[in-house]
Amino acid sequence: MRGVILVIIGVVAAPLLGGLIAGVDRRLTAWFQSRYGPPVWQPFFDVAKLFAKERLLVNTWQVFCAYIYITAAMLSVVLFFLQSDLLLILFVQAVGAIFLVIGAFSTTSPFSQVGANRELIQILTYEPLIVLVFVGIYLATGSFKISEVYSHTSPLLKSLPLLYIVLCYALTIKLRKSPFDFSTSHHAHQELVKGFLTEYSGPYLALVEIGHWYEVVLILGLCSLFWATSWTGIIVLVGLTYLCEILIDNVMARMTWRWMLGSVWTMGLSMSFVNLIWLHGG
Amino acid sequence: MLDSFLFILILGPFIAAALCYIVRIPHIRSLVVLTTGCLLAVTSVLLFLNGPFSHTPPPILGVPTHWWVLWADDVLLLTMLYYGFKRRHLFSKILVIFQIVCLDYFELFMVDHDKVFPPFVADNLSLVMVLVISIVGSLICVFAIPYMNKHEAHQKLEKSRQPLFFTFLVVIIGAMNGLVLSNNIIFMYMFFEVTTLGSFMLISHDQTETALRNSVRALWMNCLAGAAFIVAMIWAYITQNTVDAQKLIAAGHMGGIMLTPLALLCFAGMVKAAQLPFQSWLLGAMVAPTPTSALLHSSTMVKAGVYIALRFAPGYAGTFLSQCLTACGAFTFLAASAMAVSQSNGKKVLAYSTIGNLGLIFACAGINTPEAITAAILLIIFHAFSKALLFLCVGDIEQHIGSRDIEVMRGLYARMPRTALIAVLGIVTMMLPPFGVLLSKWMAIEAASKHLFVIVLLAVGSALMVVYWSRWAGVLLSAPYEPRVEPEQQDVLTRLPLLVLAGGAVVLGLCAPFLYSELVVPFLPAPPFTIQAGIFENPTGAFVLYPIILVLALGFVCAVYAAGRARRARFSGPYLSGAQTADTESFEGPMRKPVAVSSGIYCFESIFGEERLTVWFNICGGILLALLIGGAV
Repeated sequence: MRGVILVIIGVVAAPLLGGLIAGVDRRLTAWFQSRYGPPVWQPFFDVAKLFAKERLLVNTWQVFCAYIYITAAMLSVVLFFLQSDLLLILFVQAVGAIFLVIGAFSTTSPFSQVGANRELIQILTYEPLIVLVFVGIYLATGSFKISEVYSHTSPLLKSLPLLYIVLCYALTIKLRKSPFDFSTSHHAHQELVKGFLTEYSGPYLALVEIGHWYEVVLILGLCSLFWATSWTGIIVLVGLTYLCEILIDNVMARMTWRWMLGSVWTMGLSMSFVNLIWLHGG
Repeated sequence: MLDSFLFILILGPFIAAALCYIVRIPHIRSLVVLTTGCLLAVTSVLLFLNGPFSHTPPPILGVPTHWWVLWADDVLLLTMLYYGFKRRHLFSKILVIFQIVCLDYFELFMVDHDKVFPPFVADNLSLVMVLVISIVGSLICVFAIPYMNKHEAHQKLEKSRQPLFFTFLVVIIGAMNGLVLSNNIIFMYMFFEVTTLGSFMLISHDQTETALRNSVRALWMNCLAGAAFIVAMIWAYITQNTVDAQKLIAAGHMGGIMLTPLALLCFAGMVKAAQLPFQSWLLGAMVAPTPTSALLHSSTMVKAGVYIALRFAPGYAGTFLSQCLTACGAFTFLAASAMAVSQSNGKKVLAYSTIGNLGLIFACAGINTPEAITAAILLIIFHAFSKALLFLCVGDIEQHIGSRDIEVMRGLYARMPRTALIAVLGIVTMMLPPFGVLLSKWMAIEAASKHLFVIVLLAVGSALMVVYWSRWAGVLLSAPYEPRVEPEQQDVLTRLPLLVLAGGAVVLGLCAPFLYSELVVPFLPAPPFTIQAGIFENPTGAFVLYPIILVLALGFVCAVYAAGRARRARFSGPYLSGAQTADTESFEGPMRKPVAVSSGIYCFESIFGEERLTVWFNICGGILLALLIGGAV
């Protein structure tokens, strides 16, 4: 019974929460930039409007890929709420991420193609880091299962401080926030148009948007694991982390992917390694 | 009963090979290959159902089998020596002569042939290998029948060289079956050498300059493996006074002195499986016709290498050798994945991916826990099907479009929709859940989590793997929209193996819990996972296989339905940031001249370029190998 409730929360509440977070994000960004900004509910209106648009396609593969993406994103959130295996959640999430890229590759638009190539680099950059963060959680709790994290008595942040920073790095890339918004970005005013999302349109872009909300919730859920011993801890940690993300997004300029791959791997891998050695030694 | 099973599985292919060579009528040859394939597949299943056994075959024509093996060995080595002289390659000559001297001295003056022990023993590992070899190998042979006809039509040869080709194609299957069923390591060595000679002949088949050069490279590298094998054999005999593999494995725990022969055996296996720094022979094998590559890469030859490491794994559990093997394997996994990213040649991507996956299997053998061994055996099965499928797809595509370059395959879906879809399916089964390769990789990562260096190598390696696979899948589909795509014409014998392998890659992945409990668990001292409702679980983690399959399958059905309905939508050309011309492939530029658009895949030459990295990776691989052997001596 508890399982069913958790699944329902995962499927229904997660996108609502994700949409709300997106609205708050836009509002805060506007505030940073001395603008008034849209209402908090604007992301929902946007998606509703997209659903009402005419279907205009460049090929049918994009439809297929958009559906697989939202299925996988939903499934990964549900697995998170059911306190399943962390690595498994990462792999299921990857199904969606990769099909989104395949859909972008399937069109002949050069903007979409370049965006798809760049999205692969983003995946290449964050995936090993997230695996290492999970390995750290395993070394601290003795299991990859989220249920074991919740039965751990002290906050993970205490034993995995560097890995939390690594996770934040990875999440910034995953959320495609500046300085890591190479493959696509929130505003379509750059050299890349809308990157790998260029050819997704209408209701199918709406699906991709909802899938992205699921992913935001999953990501913040992963952050919450680092202070899973109390509700206050979860809310403070996740709130502060997301505020930092928004701040970084606003104060950083977009860099190049070479810089991302080089700096994030050097920093991320060495920090993870140091933290893993602490755990191994301690 | 067992006698006839073993006869069909091991000697059957040799007889078929002789028929292929003698009877020079194309139709009869095809019939022989087809019959052998079916017979092998059926017999391997029957042998599996018969269960584990140990068996002493009766003398053949009144002569005990070990004499036959010695004679066969001498003939083999002399043939190799002949080719060493013919190609004027000094190093191979030295290696072969060394082997002849050692082997004959060992056989005639050292080994006590009166000792009684069964020369053939099969446990579940051997039986699984026989299944993979016989079924996947046979499918590849069937695919080769129409393929070679087209291949030769293209070459415009005066005299067909097909008899020789099919001879060695089926010989390798027989030799592999022999190798995995042997308990007497002299037998094992003989079959090991047959695969060396077979691969040499197959690689040189086209007789071009590159083919000849690469075949000689394969010859000397595999002879090096053979030489290591024979030294290991003699060393083990001196210390343990037996050539019984079971006894040698059991003796491994005795400590120091037995470790050197085990290290040499692992070395032989790693050379055979083209681990760094010996990857060049397998990359060079790409010049051969595609069925050769498919056979060498998926079910035979390289799998002989990992089989030897897995077979002797209990013997070196918990030693320094085991740790070194893990490091070598994991490093090869990372290095091969990195170099694959820089390739746009489809066959080379496949080759590096094979080397990487074999590295992962070696790493699992080195980790040597029941969990890791499970991962290794499952990976052998799943990898064989998916990799054979992808090779055959590339072979078929190459014959249609005349290139194996991924860029040229751009938009293949518009020209060869069926093959393109099968290839995409093959790629997806190589990297994504819920399919088998990913399941084994999950087991491997969880098993490796306590080894810090190894887990970092595996984490980075798997991310690189995702890059080159998804890029390829995307490019295959990258075609302008057409309302109706005309399916391509294909020979039945081409389509059948493709469909069976694709079905196998999907269905076997879905049957993973069954494969695990029926094939793998009996081989292990203790089952590492419990299975309930299709969920693999142990204290470390849980893989909820069936629920995921259910949800993803639902999503898949919805996606297919939605994509089908979307055909009624309005279609437009892609966005080119300019006024499009009618063909949607170019836009109106200055002076109203059409400007064609083009885009390519990122190959990261400046970071992962083969030329840049090979030297450094080879040096690192060599150091790790030296550590492996030096540490054991």
